Amino acid sequence: MNRRQFLFQSGGGLGGVALAQMLAAGATHHPAKAKRVVQLFMAGGASHVDLFDYKPELLKRHGQEANFGEHVEAFQNGLGPWLRPLWDFKPYGRSQRMLSDTVAPLGAVADELAFVHNMVGKTGVHSQGTLLQTTGFNRPGFPGMGCWVSYGLGSLNENLPTFVVLPDHRGLASNGTKNWDSAFLPAQHQGTVIYPGTKTPIEDLFADDREKFVTKAGDAAGHDLLAKLNRVHATSREGDERLDARIKSYELAAKMQLAAPEALDISKETRETLKLYGLDHGKGTFDKEINPIEETDYFARKCLVARRLLERGVRFVQVWSGNDNGFPRRNWDSHEDVKRDHGPLAYGMAKGAAALIADLKQRGLLDDTIVLWTTEFGRMPSSQGGKGRDHNPYCFTNWLCGGGIKGGVTHGPSDDFGYKPADRKHPTEVYDIHATILHLLGLDHTKLTVRHNGIDRRLTDVHGTVVRELLA
Amino acid sequence: MRLPFLALCLFALPVRAADPPKPVDFARDVRPIFAKACASCHGSEKQKGGLRLDRKADALKGGDDGPAIVPKDSTKSPLIQRVTEPDADKVMPPKGEKLTAGEVAILRAWIDAGALWPDDGSAAVDARDWWSLRPLQASGIRRQESGNPIDSFVRAKLNERGLKPSPEADRRTLIRRVYFDLTGLPPTFEEVEAFAKDASPTAYESLVDKLLASPRYGERWARHWLDVVHYGETHGYDKDQPRPNAWPYRDYVIRAFNEDKPYARFVQEQIAGDVLFPGTTDGIEALGFLAAGPWDLIGHAEVPESKIDGKVARHLDRDDFVANTMGTFQSLTVHCAQCHNHKFDPISQEDYYALQAVFAAIDRTDKAYDADPTTAAKRLALEAKRKAAVATIAGIETKAGPELAELDRKLAEGKRTTNGAKRPEYGYHSAIATTPDAAKWVQVDLGASVKLDRVTLRACDDDFNDIGAGFGFPVRFKVETADDAELTRPVIIADQTTKDHANPRTAAVTFAAEGKAGRYVRVTATKLAPRLPTDFIFALAELEAFDLAGKNVALGRGITALDSIEAPVRWRASNLTDGIAPPGPKLSADELAKLTQQRDERLKKSLGDAGTKALAQANADAQSADEGLKKLGPPSRRAYIGTAFSGTGNFIGTGGKPRDIRVLPRGDVTKPGKLVHPGAIAAIGLPFALTPQHTEGDRRAALAKWLTASDNPLTWRSIVNRVWQYHFGRGLVDTPNDFGKMGQPPTHPELLDWLAVEFRDSSGSFKKLHKLIVMSATYCQVSTIDTTMAKVDADNRYLGRQNRRKLEAESVRDSILLAAGKLDLTMGGPSFRDFVIEKPEHSPHYQYQLHEPEDPKSHRRSVYRFTVRSQQEPFLAAFDCADPSLAVEKRNQTLTPQQALALLNNKLTLSMAKHFAARVEKVAMDDRGRVTAAFRLAIGREPTTAEADELAKYAADHGLANACRVILNLNEFVFVD
Repeated sequence: MNRRQFLFQSGGGLGGVALAQMLAAGATHHPAKAKRVVQLFMAGGASHVDLFDYKPELLKRHGQEANFGEHVEAFQNGLGPWLRPLWDFKPYGRSQRMLSDTVAPLGAVADELAFVHNMVGKTGVHSQGTLLQTTGFNRPGFPGMGCWVSYGLGSLNENLPTFVVLPDHRGLASNGTKNWDSAFLPAQHQGTVIYPGTKTPIEDLFADDREKFVTKAGDAAGHDLLAKLNRVHATSREGDERLDARIKSYELAAKMQLAAPEALDISKETRETLKLYGLDHGKGTFDKEINPIEETDYFARKCLVARRLLERGVRFVQVWSGNDNGFPRRNWDSHEDVKRDHGPLAYGMAKGAAALIADLKQRGLLDDTIVLWTTEFGRMPSSQGGKGRDHNPYCFTNWLCGGGIKGGVTHGPSDDFGYKPADRKHPTEVYDIHATILHLLGLDHTKLTVRHNGIDRRLTDVHGTVVRELLA
Repeated sequence: MRLPFLALCLFALPVRAADPPKPVDFARDVRPIFAKACASCHGSEKQKGGLRLDRKADALKGGDDGPAIVPKDSTKSPLIQRVTEPDADKVMPPKGEKLTAGEVAILRAWIDAGALWPDDGSAAVDARDWWSLRPLQASGIRRQESGNPIDSFVRAKLNERGLKPSPEADRRTLIRRVYFDLTGLPPTFEEVEAFAKDASPTAYESLVDKLLASPRYGERWARHWLDVVHYGETHGYDKDQPRPNAWPYRDYVIRAFNEDKPYARFVQEQIAGDVLFPGTTDGIEALGFLAAGPWDLIGHAEVPESKIDGKVARHLDRDDFVANTMGTFQSLTVHCAQCHNHKFDPISQEDYYALQAVFAAIDRTDKAYDADPTTAAKRLALEAKRKAAVATIAGIETKAGPELAELDRKLAEGKRTTNGAKRPEYGYHSAIATTPDAAKWVQVDLGASVKLDRVTLRACDDDFNDIGAGFGFPVRFKVETADDAELTRPVIIADQTTKDHANPRTAAVTFAAEGKAGRYVRVTATKLAPRLPTDFIFALAELEAFDLAGKNVALGRGITALDSIEAPVRWRASNLTDGIAPPGPKLSADELAKLTQQRDERLKKSLGDAGTKALAQANADAQSADEGLKKLGPPSRRAYIGTAFSGTGNFIGTGGKPRDIRVLPRGDVTKPGKLVHPGAIAAIGLPFALTPQHTEGDRRAALAKWLTASDNPLTWRSIVNRVWQYHFGRGLVDTPNDFGKMGQPPTHPELLDWLAVEFRDSSGSFKKLHKLIVMSATYCQVSTIDTTMAKVDADNRYLGRQNRRKLEAESVRDSILLAAGKLDLTMGGPSFRDFVIEKPEHSPHYQYQLHEPEDPKSHRRSVYRFTVRSQQEPFLAAFDCADPSLAVEKRNQTLTPQQALALLNNKLTLSMAKHFAARVEKVAMDDRGRVTAAFRLAIGREPTTAEADELAKYAADHGLANACRVILNLNEFVFVD
């Protein structure tokens, strides 16, 4: 291991020593517009035509036999007639952005948002679709976008992880931790899972409190003793920087034990802030059926924690809505009933996301924080089983806002039905979104590479073009 | 590009060629012509006709029809023929301006001068002109008069750089180093002390021999292998279902290392063990190699192969077979040639798909097999006997001529099942009797007396106890009719009470009624059908009674019976006349019997006595083989392997018939191109022996032999490099999975080749190779960093010292358990699970935090842990354990705060710290004595006075368990000098 590799692998803070710091000139490939990213991921496949991509044609043709003009390969069989959006759409903001009633809270920040309506994926299989959007590859074994950002830019606060994941509290989405594993990048770039509000929000942050022999005083003295004995050991083995790095890692661990709980504690947030996030509902328990108050509580709470983490220098926060496939539906995979499941999920998401954007803005953080809303694929404009919709990997929506993004624009419309991009030859792919985000972070997606198994791997594989229309 | 033969059409160009510049310069004169006129179709984006003219290697190689440029001979160069072609439909370029005479002249002059093209870094013209592809060079050995040849090679390189080797490490360091290296566990304090005091010059060698003979060795080195082949015990992807039968492969690998299985055999078994070593357990279990990686359950089981998503899933699956095989055994990145020819190495896209074709018939599935080799051998012999008998029967029967063939055709047609799926309404089912001779009856009330033409009985089909078709059909019975419900004066329609009736399975059984009349039709079973050895029943799917007009007058009529189990919907008396019966053959049992009889007679007539006798013998052989197989019962164990299989639903497999494999431009399954045949890397130039009439398994066998050919240059270099890497922390080639142009070149090429040849010629013995390496002075050096040397060789690539190593995740965990006195050394069998599965029915959630660390089942060595793909075990993941979703050629080494937190606070550490404390508490009366004991157990040496004092004081203040926890967190616990 040479010195450079060593520093990469073992150095400094939780993010290690960043690539950028290793580069001789400057911190990034080019001047950055943004420093941080929040990715909001809707697991299961959120319906673009019911939330963001307004299709009057579907209102007109509702109930008519769906004629796609070509053979459609659906994931499940049995496409039904055209199905109108399940909610009405209304215009918002100066941009007169059309939004569905179930995401109405986003109307308050409509002019901040830039929409991409011609996203295409590769398959209608959840696992592959999810991996494609999180890692840029539709098979396991590749680092998540947050890992690449951590690798490329390093940490802004060595006492907190660089890349934090806030999973749906009901369970992980398809592929589990593969969506944020560091794969061939060093382990410190892996997404750190945090469950705010629990006794041990980060794995092994504290000893289980049933282990009575562990005490605060004992741990403090233990840290000192360890450092002392380890230093003696290292002194007689001069030149091996790993031994010093390990001593340092224990110091950082102790600092994280203080920093993390403080960062996750929302009890000192003002009443106004809690109201903004819809966390003033006063309920301690929730109905058994899926409902908007509960969904707001879950999602907005994570959004508020995300803001606190971003404020404290976390580079990349991934917030999940929806768990893996299962019944009753607690994700966006509405094969059976879009209204029942998308309704509460979308409202909770919109409330939380709108609050996060407004809150970041009022604190001056939105200027250099990118928010990306995404999902693994969209849903079909025709029905399935009457009230549901099947997967549509041929067309879906992303939206972005914040650092360096031009608000109020729409890039790449879909066709009249939201079935495929209007211009089928020029869709937008996840590579383009990733390239654009890296670009705003000051990184050239073709240059952020790591050699693995004979290939210079990139987040964007061999694809990707920065979407200029989205840039402010 | 098509290049028709133009010999007769060549004529002089209409204009005189301008004089080309002299000499022609490729970059100045030729490249611009290619760029302007050719590159849009023959460049980096498109390669029409397989030709590209923007890179030296490809341009000189030519296209699908062979070379386009013949150096020194422009008239024979198809390139010149095409740009001067008079036919407007054939001339190149096809669109835009033709080349000017001057440009043509430049090309001619350039070719005639030898087509000189400066090296542009594209693949070498001679595909094998690369270090890893050249034949092994055994001749380069520099043997000293005495000593280990490894040291000669290493010292030669050190000398070249003005470096020198370091002195030998002391005994205490050596024993700890070689213990961890060969077994993954530390020596005991007592072993260290005894070895330190052992004056024998062979003490170290004896120690090495002892460790190589220890079963712990196989466990340690199998783990390295499992990293490379990305072995996991769940499918990964969506739902991440467990693979409860993956472990036989893990045990196979451990056994192979412990038994020192020759490497060639080890490789062959993992690719084609079922074909090359039939009847052996290893031959089956080794195929777990093929199935080791992730598998997309949804893409296979929910989506049929006819859909795009299904095709993508199966393509990715084969890609994994190819990448795993070629990465593991050849250190080649063949998977890079999936979308286009390999950009750097001599691997064509067609090579890649030829390798996919090798695996075109197989899928990943559980395979039943005999864990006991004697049973396996018996089964194999019986299957062979059966096969031979069937062949003999077929041979004899052909002599019976076309009449027999016609009868066979009729029989086959008659046995063909009529359309319809099995329905859940099975039929009538009597109560269960304990003996077969209890009479049971069931009858239908036709409503009025009817003159009957015939009565048909249809049997049930229930998989209970594997019985299936013909379930419950009585062995002896009678059919009667009468006008009163008690049948006081019955009219007999059929009497089968005096001899056993053959089970009709799902064929209809019809009895002529010849106009006999009655209101009630009753079937009485006088000898019941067995359901279990102790249970006897009478069941019928349908009873049909046809009147003289041919109408089934029983349909929908009321039923009475002596008894009935009434378990709807499957079993109830009314099912007997509901018109629902399992789909059966077209012909009735009688008609089939008649045809069979005709067939028997035909055979007798045409074969004569001798033939008939021989046929009877062969039939008896087949039957006895069948009986023998039945007696053996189903195979006892299941292993998850790569194999040809026949499934159901969407995941139907191939039944052994390979799928067609076509080149996929850009890897796109919707645009299949040229059909390819099985093969390997053509540029390596080894024969790929396969006859046109080969079976699926022959393809894998051919690849296995190709891989293990003694002159395959990659196989032997690849494996000795891996072994070297695990001994020194760095390979002689630092990219163990990539020996191509994007990989690292070897630091010691002669040593690598010498080791490869030595290993190959010592029958591929790992243990000999280990011994050779760990006995070298290079291995035994101190790991102390010499600051002067570090300036020249900071990374210690030339091995002027040994490398201090950080323990791998498994060694850390196992050492903690060992120190605490809790390590359970039980070997083999199903993996222990250190998690609780929630929601197993849909998407299992692997909840590590719910596992109880005191569970003794989880105190086995880490290699026996159940490895989940979607969620790695957090403690081991913090210590950089291998991610089973990717081939791990070399583990990352990180030092992170999360790692510190894991070793401090993970429930395993906490629980073991308490056991550790309890263990040492007994051995001494005071804290000083106890921490000294703990230090010896964990670190393998006597603590210094200062260390003992500090730890004793800490134990007094904060408890012995915390002191033990501190010891388990020492740098010295996780680093080995």
